[in-house]
Amino acid sequence: MLSKQSRIVLDTLLPSRAHPTLKYGVFDAGFNEFWAEFERTALPSLRWGLRTAVFAATWIAPLLIHRLPPLTLHDRPTRERALAAMALSRFYILRQLFVVLKTTVCFCYGADPNVRDAIGYPLQHDDPRRQVS
Amino acid sequence: MIFDGEKERRALDETFDYVIVGSGAAGATAARILVDTGARIAVVEEGPAVTTAEFSDRVFPAFRRMFRGMGTQIARGRAFIPVIQGSCLGGTTVVNSAIVWRIPDDVWEPWKAQYGLGDALPLDALHTHWDQIERELSARPVAPEIWGENNRLMDIAKNRLGVSAAPMRRYEIGCQGSARCYTGCPHGAKQSMLVTYLPYASERGVMLLTSARVDKVILEGDRAAGVTGHFHVPQFKRAIAPFTLRARKGVLIAASAIQTPGLLARSGVRSPHLGKHFQGHPGAALAGVFDEKVALWFGATQGYESDHHRVDGRFKIETISLPPEMMLARLPGVGRAWVENIARSAHIAMWAVALRAYAQGSVREGLFGTDIRFDLTPQDMINLRKGLRFTAELLFAAGAREVITGIHGLPERLTSPDQAGLLETGPDDPACYSFALTHLFGTARMSVRPTEGVVGTDFSVHRTKGLYVIDSSIFPTNLGVNPQLAIMGIAMHAAKKIAATNE
Repeated sequence: MLSKQSRIVLDTLLPSRAHPTLKYGVFDAGFNEFWAEFERTALPSLRWGLRTAVFAATWIAPLLIHRLPPLTLHDRPTRERALAAMALSRFYILRQLFVVLKTTVCFCYGADPNVRDAIGYPLQHDDPRRQVS
Repeated sequence: MIFDGEKERRALDETFDYVIVGSGAAGATAARILVDTGARIAVVEEGPAVTTAEFSDRVFPAFRRMFRGMGTQIARGRAFIPVIQGSCLGGTTVVNSAIVWRIPDDVWEPWKAQYGLGDALPLDALHTHWDQIERELSARPVAPEIWGENNRLMDIAKNRLGVSAAPMRRYEIGCQGSARCYTGCPHGAKQSMLVTYLPYASERGVMLLTSARVDKVILEGDRAAGVTGHFHVPQFKRAIAPFTLRARKGVLIAASAIQTPGLLARSGVRSPHLGKHFQGHPGAALAGVFDEKVALWFGATQGYESDHHRVDGRFKIETISLPPEMMLARLPGVGRAWVENIARSAHIAMWAVALRAYAQGSVREGLFGTDIRFDLTPQDMINLRKGLRFTAELLFAAGAREVITGIHGLPERLTSPDQAGLLETGPDDPACYSFALTHLFGTARMSVRPTEGVVGTDFSVHRTKGLYVIDSSIFPTNLGVNPQLAIMGIAMHAAKKIAATNE
């Protein structure tokens, strides 16, 4: 089960209704279900990598823009600035943790059929929706 | 026949003529040759058997099931570099782009002159093997109808700049351009070992053991007598049951440049060169944003390449179509800015520099598993930056409106060809770049004398009888080109030599 803080971090990273043709955010793409599967089936190193990345985004990223942690104290523009600062941090480990965060989120988001449709990914011959129709 | 250790869940103790460890390009090729001699053979694969019907276009399940360490294997150094390897029946050939290259003369020449391997790996014999493999695996250039825009744009750049570039040659029959090579070809069009040499061998009696990890080679005196190991749940390495496979004529190690040195070390092989001289081809990609749709997800996954600077710059440029999960993660931004980039992803082309690095790292068994060390040299960084500049120039020549760099310390986007030079003067710290490391070599290199390498010119480990290494571990250098054909040709040569020795 995702904590409220984790949800806010991930929703800041990939929000809903942020673009007219791509309305889906990470939680519209079934991230709750993905997280449960991820916790059950991913290697411990992957799971801990993601948890550490969320922790760093929550507690360290705000400090990079001279704001107090946790990230969840702040409004969305401030949270976005903090995460952007983490992505561009001079500390390699923070940049890498941000990559872990984005990559893991995309394992879910990029696999979502609605997202794929919205970005122009072609319907595959073995897509279950094609077989149903 | 396939003996799936995960399903069978029972111990096994059998005797064969040859036991081959690894079912990728080298192991499968050796099995294909040795089975024709009438030998009784076992091929042991650590990963699971995944059939064509099971391939999906979702990355996480594919990573979980078919990639070593679920895709998390990394080389440590100044930067963390993912080391991409398949771990399933057929090995990396199941999840690569099936690109065909022979060893170029300029690469082979030092093997002969500097390392004294001209007789052990004779180029004329290798060409004969490559002819056979190309014929059997249907090597052909990517047809224009399955180029897709990502590949077609490099053709445009080539014509505008007058550089050397061409459609890649790949092993395939009936490729439909679904751009899904990295998660397993859903049409069975890619002629990986899974659908070619392994079925050939299996139909002729070779036993394929999957989800079977070899712990060590049984050495009796100075002779290899078989292997011991255990069946397991591959993703989590949970042991199920032990196995012992005895080998009357020889044990052939084809476990890759990452796993082979560890297996040899666990088996008692000692050499100062074991696990050293680790080489590879690090790659870094740039994304070009075009006004027109590129639709990266139609066309050959990798279909076009430029070898213009292969010799003078030690790099090759390749088109690359990443699955949505991996491509979206590479786009810059947070929140709304990231979503906007994602929404435009159909307009992005992605091309990568594949570098023939000078760097030599190491591979050894550590407390927490395989410990891979790899640090690019200053000259590698110079070559990489030249390669990135050249890639940006190609993208702009093809009509890119902007180029997304993804390099820490450089602007997020370059908006004109004049700015391509920034890439050449960019940071020299590898930690500023996003790499992936593929094509792995050298950790049990072949040498004439035992003091200079691990494996002798007859492919057997120095001072050990019947223990052969036939994968890219034995390569004295990296290649600067895609190595599958080189690996297969050398494995074919090794298998024929070994068979002749044991007649």
